[in-house]
Amino acid sequence: MTAPNPHPEGSAWRHFVGVFLCVFFIGAAIVYIAILLVDPYGVVAFSLPLDRRIISIDQRHMYPQIVRSKRYDSFVIGSSTGRLLDPALLDKEFGGRFANLSMNDMQAVEQKTMIELVLRTAGRPRMLIVGIDGVWCSVNADKVQGMHGFPHWMYDDNPWNDYLYLLNTAAAEATIRLLAFQFGLYKERIRGDGYQVFTPPEERYDLAKARKLIWSSREPQAVPDLAPRPLSDQERRSLSFPALAWLDNLLGQLPPSSVKVLAYMPIHVAAQPWPGTRDAAIEAECKARIAEIGRNRGAKVIDWRIASRITREDSNYWDNLHYRVPIATRVAEELAEAVLLGEPSEDYRIVVP
Amino acid sequence: MLFQTQFYVLVFLPAVAMLYYAVAGSAVARQWLLICASLIFYAWWDVRFVILPVAQITATWLLALAHERIGGRAWLVAGVVLNLASLATFKYLDFIIASAANLAGLSLPHAGIILPIGISFFSFQLISYLIDRMRGDAPIYPYRPFALFVLLYPHLIAGPIVRHNELVPQFAQDPRRDGIWRRVGAGLVIFTVGFAKKVLIADHLATIVDPLFTDAGSRALGFGEAWSAVLAFTFQLFLDFSAYTEMAIGSALVFGLLLPENFRRPYLATDLREFWRRWHISLSNFIRDYLYIPLGGSRHGAARYVLATMIAMGLCGLWHGAGWTYVAWGLWHGAGLVVCRGWQQLKRPMPAPIGWLVTMLFVMAGWALFRASSFGTAASIVQSLAGFHGMTGVLQDMKYLVVAALVSAFVPSAHEIHDGLTRPRPALAVGGAALAVYCLLAAGQGAPVNFIYFQF
Repeated sequence: MTAPNPHPEGSAWRHFVGVFLCVFFIGAAIVYIAILLVDPYGVVAFSLPLDRRIISIDQRHMYPQIVRSKRYDSFVIGSSTGRLLDPALLDKEFGGRFANLSMNDMQAVEQKTMIELVLRTAGRPRMLIVGIDGVWCSVNADKVQGMHGFPHWMYDDNPWNDYLYLLNTAAAEATIRLLAFQFGLYKERIRGDGYQVFTPPEERYDLAKARKLIWSSREPQAVPDLAPRPLSDQERRSLSFPALAWLDNLLGQLPPSSVKVLAYMPIHVAAQPWPGTRDAAIEAECKARIAEIGRNRGAKVIDWRIASRITREDSNYWDNLHYRVPIATRVAEELAEAVLLGEPSEDYRIVVP
Repeated sequence: MLFQTQFYVLVFLPAVAMLYYAVAGSAVARQWLLICASLIFYAWWDVRFVILPVAQITATWLLALAHERIGGRAWLVAGVVLNLASLATFKYLDFIIASAANLAGLSLPHAGIILPIGISFFSFQLISYLIDRMRGDAPIYPYRPFALFVLLYPHLIAGPIVRHNELVPQFAQDPRRDGIWRRVGAGLVIFTVGFAKKVLIADHLATIVDPLFTDAGSRALGFGEAWSAVLAFTFQLFLDFSAYTEMAIGSALVFGLLLPENFRRPYLATDLREFWRRWHISLSNFIRDYLYIPLGGSRHGAARYVLATMIAMGLCGLWHGAGWTYVAWGLWHGAGLVVCRGWQQLKRPMPAPIGWLVTMLFVMAGWALFRASSFGTAASIVQSLAGFHGMTGVLQDMKYLVVAALVSAFVPSAHEIHDGLTRPRPALAVGGAALAVYCLLAAGQGAPVNFIYFQF
C-alpha cells in the first residue's frame, strides 16, 4: 500500500511552477550579483577589491578599464597592425607610461570612441600614436557601427547604463576566470598595458605557408615603380573619407603639450593598393588629406605603408597584414628615430616632421 | 519587442502576468489589460506602426457591424478589399511598381513605404473573419474581444494565424479556472524550449547562412559551402520560426490561452503532402480553407485540382514576400504537391527512408530559392549542390548542424509538449529553469537577432 500523495494534481503543478520560477529568478539573481561583485570589466562602483587583470581576449570589453585605471599617460590606438608595438619598448624610447589599445579589426569609429574615452578619462595624454590603416580611408567609415558587438555603453560617461548589459554569458565566463585567477588557477591573457603577442610563436614560422597567405591566389611579384594615376579635380572633389573629419576633430581636442603621431603601419605590398591603379590614386588622395590634417594639428605623420625593405620581404610577415615580432621591434625603434630625431630611412617616409 | 530579450523575459512578461491575474476576476479588465500590453509590445518597434492594425481592426469591425445591422454582402466585400488594399499598399506596392516597370521597360519611382511588422498575419486574420461571416460562420463580436483576437501580442507579429472561433471564446474563460497551474507550468516549459532553440541554435546558424548566401550573389559556392549554406538555412528557418511559435504559445498559456499548433516536426515527413501538414500548419489551414477549396480543390477533376493547387501555392509564396523568388518557391511546392498526389494515386508507396530523402532534397532545393536574393543566385547554389562547380570543401560547423538536426527531429512540438506533460516532475522544473537562466545569459550577449518570419 502506498502513502497518499501529499500533492493532489493541482497543488503538484503549483509546486512545479513555484520551483521553476524560484530556480529561474534566484539563479539569474545569483549570477548577476556574482558578476557585479567580481566585476571583470571594472565598471561597477561597489565591486569587491580584487586584483583585476585582463583575463579575456575580448579586447573591446577589457580595454576601457586600462584607460580608466589612470596608470598610463601615453597610448597607441589602431587595428591589429599596431598591436605588436610593445609599450615597454615605447616607454624606453619615448619615456612615459604607454598602453597599447589597438584591437583586432578595430574600425575607425571604434578608434574614435577609444580616443574620446582617453581624452575624457586619462587627462592630458603625454603622447598619442594612431596606427593609420585602410579603415581611416574607407568611404563607408561612417556606416560601420563597430565590430564584434562593440560595447558603446562601456565607453560613455554614464556608469549606470552599464548595469543593463552585464547579465550575459561572456561576463559570467569572465567572472569565473577572474575568480580562478585570484586562486592561481588561471593566468592573465593580455598584459595590463594591453600588449599581447597575438601572432603564433616565432619558432613555428613557416615561410611557404606565409607566402600562401600573403599572396593568396596570386603569384608573388615585384612591385612596379609606377606613380599613381592622377585623379581629375572632379574625382578628387567627389571623394569623401568620413573618418578623417573625426581624426581632425580628435587631434584638435588634444592639448598642444601632447605629442601626436599618425603612423601608417607597414602592411605587406601585396595588401597595399597596386601602383598605377585607381585604388592607389584614391589612397594617395587620402594620404594627402591626412598629411594636411597632421600639418594643421601639429601631428607628426610617418608612413611605413610604402614599398620598402620591410614591406617587400615575405619573410617579415605571417600574412599580408601582420608582421613578425622582430619587425615590430624595428618599427618601434624607427618610430623613435623618426619622431625624436627626424632621421630618414628607407623603411619609412617622414610625411610631416 | 522580441520574446528572447531580457526585458521581455525579466520584466514585460512577469509584469503583464501579475497584473493580468490581479484583475483576472473581471473579463473586461483583463481583456483591456492584454490589449494595452499588446499595443505596447507592438509599439516597441515604432509607435507609428500601431495606427495601422488599430485602423484595420476598427474598420473591419464597423463593416461587419454594418453587415449585421443593415445587411448586404457588399459591406463584407468592402472589408476584404480594404484589408487586401492595405496589404497591397504597405507590402506589395514597390513589388507591383517594379514588376510593371520591368514589363513595360520603364523606370518608375519607388514608393519606399516602410513595411509594418506582422501586417501579413493580422490582415489574413481579419480577412478570414470577414469570409467566415460571408459563410455565416462568424458572429458579430463586441469590439473589445474582437480587437484582442487580432492584437493579442503573442501571435500578433508572426502567428500562429488564429481564427476568431479558436480564440474569442477563450477570452470569456476565467484564467484561474481548474488547471491554471498546469497551463502556466506547461507554458513555462514550452517557452523555454523555444527560447533555447532561438538563442542557442538558430542565431548561431545565421552566422553560417548569412555570409554564404551573400557570397553566392557574387561567386559560385563550392560543394561544401553550398551544402553548408542550404543545410544550415533549412534548420535555421525551422528552429527560428518554431522557436517563435513556442514562445508565443508558451506566453499565451501563462495567460490561460491556448494558441493553435504551427509545426509538428516537419522534417520527419516522408512525403510532401505530409510536410505541409506539419509545416506552418496555421498558414496551411488558412490557404486550404480560404483559397484551395474555394478554387475547387480536388473534387472537380484533375485539371481544376492542378490549377487550384498552383494558384494556392503561388499565392502562399507571394504571402511570404514581395518578390518573384517567393512566388517561384510557392509554385515549386505546388508542382511538388501535384506530383506527390499523382504518385500516391499509383498505389506504389516509396519505402519511408527513400520518401523522406526525396522530400528533404525537394524541400531543401526550395529553401535555396526561398533564401536566395535572385533566381541567378538560387540557380548557382543548386548547381553547386549538384557539384557543377567542383566537389571541394567540407560542411562548416558540422557540430552545430548535427545538433540542429537532432533538435529538429526529436524535440517535441509545442502541442506535443502541452499534451504530453501530464506529470509535474520537479526535476523538469529545475532543469527547465536552469536552461532558461542559461538562455537569458546567452540572450544578453550582443544585439538580439530578429526572427526570420518577422519580414513576412
